[in-house]
Amino acid sequence: MSYTVNSLASGVDGYFIENSRFNTTLISFNFYLPLNRDTVAQNALLPFVLTTCSKDYPEFSDLNFKLSKLYGAELIAVSEKVGDFQLLKIGISVISDKYTLDNEELTSQAIELLLGLIFKPAVESGEFKANDVEREKRKAIEHILGELAEKRTYAKGRLIEEMYKNDPYGTSKCGTVEAVEKIDGKALYDTWENMLKTAYVRVNVISSELPAGLFDKVSNTFLKIDRKDVTDFTRTVPTKVSLKVNRIDEEMNVSQGKLVMGFSSKLSGSDKDCAALTVMADILGGGPYSKLFLNVREKQRLCYYCAVRAVKVMGLLTVDSGVCKENMEKTEQAISEQLKAMQNGEISDLEFNSSMKAILDSFKTYNDSQNLLDTWYSIKIADKKPITPEELSDIISKVKKEDITDAARGIKLHTVYRLIPEQKEAL
Amino acid sequence: MTRQYFEGPLGEGYLKATHESGLEIYIMEKPEFSSSYALFGTKYGSIDTVFGIKGKEKVTVPEGIAHFLEHKLFESEEGDAFSRFAETGASANAFTSFDRTCYLFSCSDRFYENLEILLDFVQSPYFTEQTVQKEQGIIGQEIRMYDDSPGWRVMFNMLSSMYKEHPVRIEIAGTEESIAKIDAQLLYKCYETFYNPSNMYICIAGNIDTDKTLKLIENALKPSVPIEIERYDFNDNEKVLKQYTEQTFPVSIPIFTLGFKRNITSGEVPLKEKVCMSLLLEIICGESSPLYASLVKEGLINDEFSSEYFTGRGFAAAIFEGESTNPKKVASKIKSRIAELINEGIDKKLFSAVKCEMYGDAVRRYNTVEGSAMQLVDGAVSGYDIYDEIKILKNVTADEICRYLNYFDCNNTVLSVIKPEEEQ
Repeated sequence: MSYTVNSLASGVDGYFIENSRFNTTLISFNFYLPLNRDTVAQNALLPFVLTTCSKDYPEFSDLNFKLSKLYGAELIAVSEKVGDFQLLKIGISVISDKYTLDNEELTSQAIELLLGLIFKPAVESGEFKANDVEREKRKAIEHILGELAEKRTYAKGRLIEEMYKNDPYGTSKCGTVEAVEKIDGKALYDTWENMLKTAYVRVNVISSELPAGLFDKVSNTFLKIDRKDVTDFTRTVPTKVSLKVNRIDEEMNVSQGKLVMGFSSKLSGSDKDCAALTVMADILGGGPYSKLFLNVREKQRLCYYCAVRAVKVMGLLTVDSGVCKENMEKTEQAISEQLKAMQNGEISDLEFNSSMKAILDSFKTYNDSQNLLDTWYSIKIADKKPITPEELSDIISKVKKEDITDAARGIKLHTVYRLIPEQKEAL
Repeated sequence: MTRQYFEGPLGEGYLKATHESGLEIYIMEKPEFSSSYALFGTKYGSIDTVFGIKGKEKVTVPEGIAHFLEHKLFESEEGDAFSRFAETGASANAFTSFDRTCYLFSCSDRFYENLEILLDFVQSPYFTEQTVQKEQGIIGQEIRMYDDSPGWRVMFNMLSSMYKEHPVRIEIAGTEESIAKIDAQLLYKCYETFYNPSNMYICIAGNIDTDKTLKLIENALKPSVPIEIERYDFNDNEKVLKQYTEQTFPVSIPIFTLGFKRNITSGEVPLKEKVCMSLLLEIICGESSPLYASLVKEGLINDEFSSEYFTGRGFAAAIFEGESTNPKKVASKIKSRIAELINEGIDKKLFSAVKCEMYGDAVRRYNTVEGSAMQLVDGAVSGYDIYDEIKILKNVTADEICRYLNYFDCNNTVLSVIKPEEEQ
């Protein structure tokens, strides 16, 4: 299944991903800005302020009421890191008109609503209203503080923070509590203007048909904006090799410890360039046929989960596991042994075939999920024109065992983060 | 095999077939999709700790055994089921909840081969003392993972304060102590009772052929004689055990669950009640409600706030949960709002908006093969036609739902709070 690209204005592209199997239409505006510590917090706050009020709906309760009447249309607000860039996503998902109780025209109303939220916010004299800003700041701060609650996410976040201390990628995607506290209505207005003027913009539409006039409206709106210095979102600096393994231990009152290992990869960048890395990561710790699942979990019984993830655009590979305190060293050693086996070319036909089949099968499911498709077409930033799931599937099917061994040899341990249960460990 | 076709309002439908063994098969063809999703499930979950087969003695088994059995069923004498799915490229998994255990796979290719594997491994138990012991270590780690999850803890602290007898109060995976009591013999006893096809269902949605699928299932089913399982009601129709419970945890902001216990005699609440109570939850404190707006404005809740009508065999509770710097104040405001609604009635405009919203949500659930198959499972476990929800939503009136407001007993509630350690 393919897509069409329409250039709507300078640095603004409209992607129509035609797909008739869904009951809903999904439209997302994806704004890409450079990721840096000075601006990340106010950028991150923007999608949340913009999706809770607007000039037409100054009170968020009025907006919520309208969304309910649109059959529970769902607004999407996201701040995400994609390589060295910050992705701000603002979107809407609405059920198709034909499913309404009284043949109502939902899609056109949803589009008007979304455009109003992005381009006609609730501002006065060049500032967002203090009430709106303070409300969303409070929620953002609680969200940042809330990240401590889920220890697996927290531990993975701490690894990235330590691994990229001096690089943009080490920036937390929502910024710090201190940075959020400093944001005011004027600063947020400037952030909004900057986003509209300088962000590279990708508008994804996933539907059976392109809503009439949508791209023209978007195009006309952006042509009125003085677009300059548009972000070149294709340049991400890959992870550097660390000469010495960085080790961080922290103690907490938990019953299970967390072991997270971060590796640099020689392969980095686009999906095409990282095809071998994708298969390598999957054989090491993807499905239940992987080396870590079969050896570290099933054979040595060291943990319940031990999962590998490759962040291709960064040339980063992580392994994360929940283990008890006394097994921390043993688990790290077991993980390293499995990686070493791959570097020595120890990849059985069974492992290779199982992984290939699972990866290739999973690519076919992308077209069955609107959310997966939207994510796919918003995080593919290493190439100006994103690859389709079918194209990538074709490239991956050509990966050979030698390529995988070579990719494994390019993996170097960079940082180990351990969250260790305090002495009074519960049983 | 008997067959019945159900036409849906979204231009699609599903078939329900009942095999001679009592096994129910639900199939929704979705030919426009590339993939398929299949589950083989049993009406057996963590709450089934005391049971019997008609004419035989009553058995009490250790907590967490249904979940343990789920883990063990993937193993057979020849190897594990995961390695068989690895040959086809399917993604396989399983889950256990309060009232069900399901084994599942999703795939884009080789559906019929995958279905054969699913049918075979679920019908082929293989438990030995050695493999049981091995699993105790892995599940022990899984239990510790849940112990560290404040979202999980706040819910189970609420349930164990709400129910004195009903096993919904116990952890789905049990405890490290309770699973230590599990042995191969007990696993076989549970298997022979609950994995009889008369207590099971197969639910499939996706790009498949119904006739071919039914034929394959019929050929793959092992001979069996239907049995009558005796489940025992728990006498829990009384006040909650504790109205307030709290635990300290390494979190930065308090997390809470507020539950309104609804006393039910036995079985499950009717679908109409579920729909009406869900509508009421939205009217009381859904995102379009005045209370939600005022709680956000006062800084008392954030985007984590949600509500649910939590029901199953022998239990029902209306639940509000979220993060708050002052959970007690949130609880008190919710109760006051319910009292107001009982006195003043329901805003018709809000009712109509919330009805649209829930209708839209129901339509969305069929947007994926997974969502469609999970709907079929809900229907199979609860015994209703999955499209009944949409039909009820179309016809329900504001006056009708008003009477369900009395199901919120403000004197029979539990507030469970997870507090940051610093506040100790």
